[in-house]
Amino acid sequence: MIAYIFRRLLYAIPTVFGVMLITFILFFVWGSRETMAKAQLGQRARPTEVRNWLHEHGYDKPLIINAAWADSTYHHAEQPWWDSIFIQQIKNFTVFELGESDFNREPIGEKIRSGMIPSLLITAPAMFVGLFLAVALALVQVFYRASALDTGMTVACAVLMSIVPMAYIISAQNLMAVTLKWFPAFGFDLQGWGTIRFLMLPVTVMGVIYLGSDVRLYRSIFLEEIAQDYIRTAQAKGVNARGVLFKHVLKNGAISLITLVVAHLPLLIMGSLLIENFFGIPGLGGLVVNALQKQDFAIVRAAVFIGSLLYLFGLLLTDICYAVADPRIRLS
Amino acid sequence: MFTGITRALCLLATLLFASCDNDPHPKPLVERGRDGGPPLVRYTYQSEAPRSLDPQEAYDQMSRRVLEPVYDCLLEYHPFKTDPYELIPCMLEAMPERHASADGPVTYLCRLKKGIFFHDDPCFPGGKGREVTAADVRYSWQRIADPKTECPVLSSLWDYVTGLKDAYELTQKNGGKFDYAAPFTALEVVDSHTFKVHLLKPYPQIIYWMAMHFTCPVAREAVEFYDGEKHDGKRRERFKWHPVGTGPFRYVHELSDHDNNFRLVRNERYITTKFPTDGWSPKREAVCRPLAGKQLPILDEVQIRILRETIPAWLLTKQGYLDSFGVSKDAYSSAVTATHELTPELLARGVTLEKDVEVSTFYTSINMDDPLLGKNKKLRQALACAFDAATENEIFFNGVREVAQQIIPPGIAGYRKDYRNPMGFNLARAQQLISEAGYPGGMDPKTGRSLEITMDTSASGADERLLTEFEQKCLEKLGIKVTVIENTFAKKIEKEDKGNFQLSSGTGWGADYPDPENFFMLFYSKNMPPEGKNISRYKNPEFDSLYEKMSTMDDGPDRLAISHKLVDMLNDDCPIFLTNHKAFFSLVQPWAPRTHNNMMLEGGVKYLCLDPTLREKKRAEWNH
Repeated sequence: MIAYIFRRLLYAIPTVFGVMLITFILFFVWGSRETMAKAQLGQRARPTEVRNWLHEHGYDKPLIINAAWADSTYHHAEQPWWDSIFIQQIKNFTVFELGESDFNREPIGEKIRSGMIPSLLITAPAMFVGLFLAVALALVQVFYRASALDTGMTVACAVLMSIVPMAYIISAQNLMAVTLKWFPAFGFDLQGWGTIRFLMLPVTVMGVIYLGSDVRLYRSIFLEEIAQDYIRTAQAKGVNARGVLFKHVLKNGAISLITLVVAHLPLLIMGSLLIENFFGIPGLGGLVVNALQKQDFAIVRAAVFIGSLLYLFGLLLTDICYAVADPRIRLS
Repeated sequence: MFTGITRALCLLATLLFASCDNDPHPKPLVERGRDGGPPLVRYTYQSEAPRSLDPQEAYDQMSRRVLEPVYDCLLEYHPFKTDPYELIPCMLEAMPERHASADGPVTYLCRLKKGIFFHDDPCFPGGKGREVTAADVRYSWQRIADPKTECPVLSSLWDYVTGLKDAYELTQKNGGKFDYAAPFTALEVVDSHTFKVHLLKPYPQIIYWMAMHFTCPVAREAVEFYDGEKHDGKRRERFKWHPVGTGPFRYVHELSDHDNNFRLVRNERYITTKFPTDGWSPKREAVCRPLAGKQLPILDEVQIRILRETIPAWLLTKQGYLDSFGVSKDAYSSAVTATHELTPELLARGVTLEKDVEVSTFYTSINMDDPLLGKNKKLRQALACAFDAATENEIFFNGVREVAQQIIPPGIAGYRKDYRNPMGFNLARAQQLISEAGYPGGMDPKTGRSLEITMDTSASGADERLLTEFEQKCLEKLGIKVTVIENTFAKKIEKEDKGNFQLSSGTGWGADYPDPENFFMLFYSKNMPPEGKNISRYKNPEFDSLYEKMSTMDDGPDRLAISHKLVDMLNDDCPIFLTNHKAFFSLVQPWAPRTHNNMMLEGGVKYLCLDPTLREKKRAEWNH
């Protein structure tokens, strides 16, 4: 197991390097640095200001390597060959030095750290409550399979899946904040228990958005499980319906659930782009949306880097959990 | 066991709902108002976070909105006199005295008011803000020339202000470290409260720069204290995020974060300005008269939220949790009728509708270096006459914007209310002009096919695409073929800088200061991109000579006549075709009536007033 984890960690290095290379090409090779500067400084910026901005942000270096043949415009003869934007970025990201925002020069590391808690406060309860609800509803459907209730719930799930997330957000804000006046329509204040009133609405909406598709998926998993021979054997041995459902179907179906759920656990930190933006949650999702709107590519690059690391970590975690949950699986 | 769990859940739910309400605002910091009554707290919002709160660095509107209440400027705009806009002293005792010498250089003598203090802050000994002196003004002007400050207007000023360019270039030569002890010829300190600004040549517009925060005094102690470095194991903020101003409101950095919300509280020691005693429009008499001569600011606290989406802002307005709301497209039909009046529901609530016209002009630029368009005036005129700006305004902006007839927007000296652009929309004339241009029916006689023209845009969303399509269809009514090239915003700027376009749609200019020179410079031949902003690459010696003359003249009938002449020349020559002056509607809650609608102020927060009792009453009505 340890050798497997070590090997997977080694595999992660070229993967992350590839992600960084693609991100770099997208931001620096396809787009000009001067236009990147003007996106920040505004249309009125003069060449002197653009040059200053590029210098202050370290973007006045050659792209890949500091050599006259590779980049004559930005070549600095007095600097070593590795003094380039790409190598500098690799170096910085390797030691988790995420740099400063292109927009306002705030340290990105601090912004990401401060955004994690609000993001987790939304995504974690939404995921766990949503998982509990979806599993419960899927089990009900499996219990009453091929009945009118099952059909009705399937239709309801299809309806839930067909509604666009924006409609949920706007309806929930109107219903729960404006009509029922239960919760604020917008805002966030990290103030102990008082924070809960700001979380209820976004958590509910986020849970409902994914409920339809999750119930459908879990129902399929459980149905596959309930058709297995060992279930028939259990039933033949006289195990009651509740026992079959909770002891056998749920337990064995959980192995498939793990692969779906655990891979997403680390990504909870990254928050939700849409929900955070519409509810004013100062999390990482909102940070990324905001950075994209402002063309703050330094933050976007850092978020892609962190996101790719978390995703790889999630996949590794899934494999480990899979092996722990199912003794038949051996990692090699 | 289940009964126990059920009871616990019920109790939790009861507690949760009992503690819940839909008010999204944190408790005000100020507990009592100046009169001992409830505090006057204004709840406002903006769509983006500020870029910087350093007055010498910040240029964008969102930063200025937070900066304006915190930093006072040397001069300021009279809140009510907007046609034309008028400057009045703010930190200065009186308007600067101009002394011109025969050989060109000009000096402005300025005297600071006595008894103006910086806000209390740990950067000062004992945490008590000290008095502002002329040396502080000198220091802030030095910061403009310091490359580290990244002042965006440095290159606009160095053509006029003595020694700014030299100071900048010397610093660059010396490895980027600005010598604040070195002689600085731009600003001469005469005594503790008097200073002189030295100009290389006449530049009457310098007084407008004194009403902008780039030139406002900052405390050297604050800039040096908030260096973003670790001291005694604790990292200090950077000055750009820790403003220590002189203005009517103090920035509460402990309760503000740079991305989502900002808290400002009344500066107890503020004595600089009072509410004007005249000048308001008759419709504001009832609101402004009781405030006349009162010490500013009127409010005790301001909470600014960043609301990037308009839907939540509209919901909070309906609940009474925002004091005013810029009517967005999403909310337009729910708030305003087809006849540009409030909906009955909002009228019944006591809400009022205000229309604001920004000091800006939008247009499509025509590349005068283009071999086809640059040399064919009739063709440019035909394009200008083919564009139906009024219909565009009705379809895309609900008729709210003002159709532009001249490059100068309303409120600026030289703007003529009844003036009609001779090259305004007239399809019959456009068709006649294109024939005279050598392309009858839009056909190119050389090829026998429709004349082909390209139009660059930065269309990114559905609305922008439809807008461009409308423009394309208008021009194609001439029988020509217009190919739209969609670019990213940055790419479009790059093309404009390089002159790599025929038509560039959606260009425009918002006034830095309310002077016609700020708009005519867009067509001055020595103002070519990328250094300057003459995107059309317009070159007209007569225009240049009149521009040079008017740019150093004081306002008066002669200057006005030149402004009119320049407007006529542009409308006749058509290096652009005009679209509109940006305008928008705002909903104003009954408890927070407007006192002014000065668009050169970024909100003019210090002049705003509030009735907290009425707000509480209305909120209770609307939310229960």
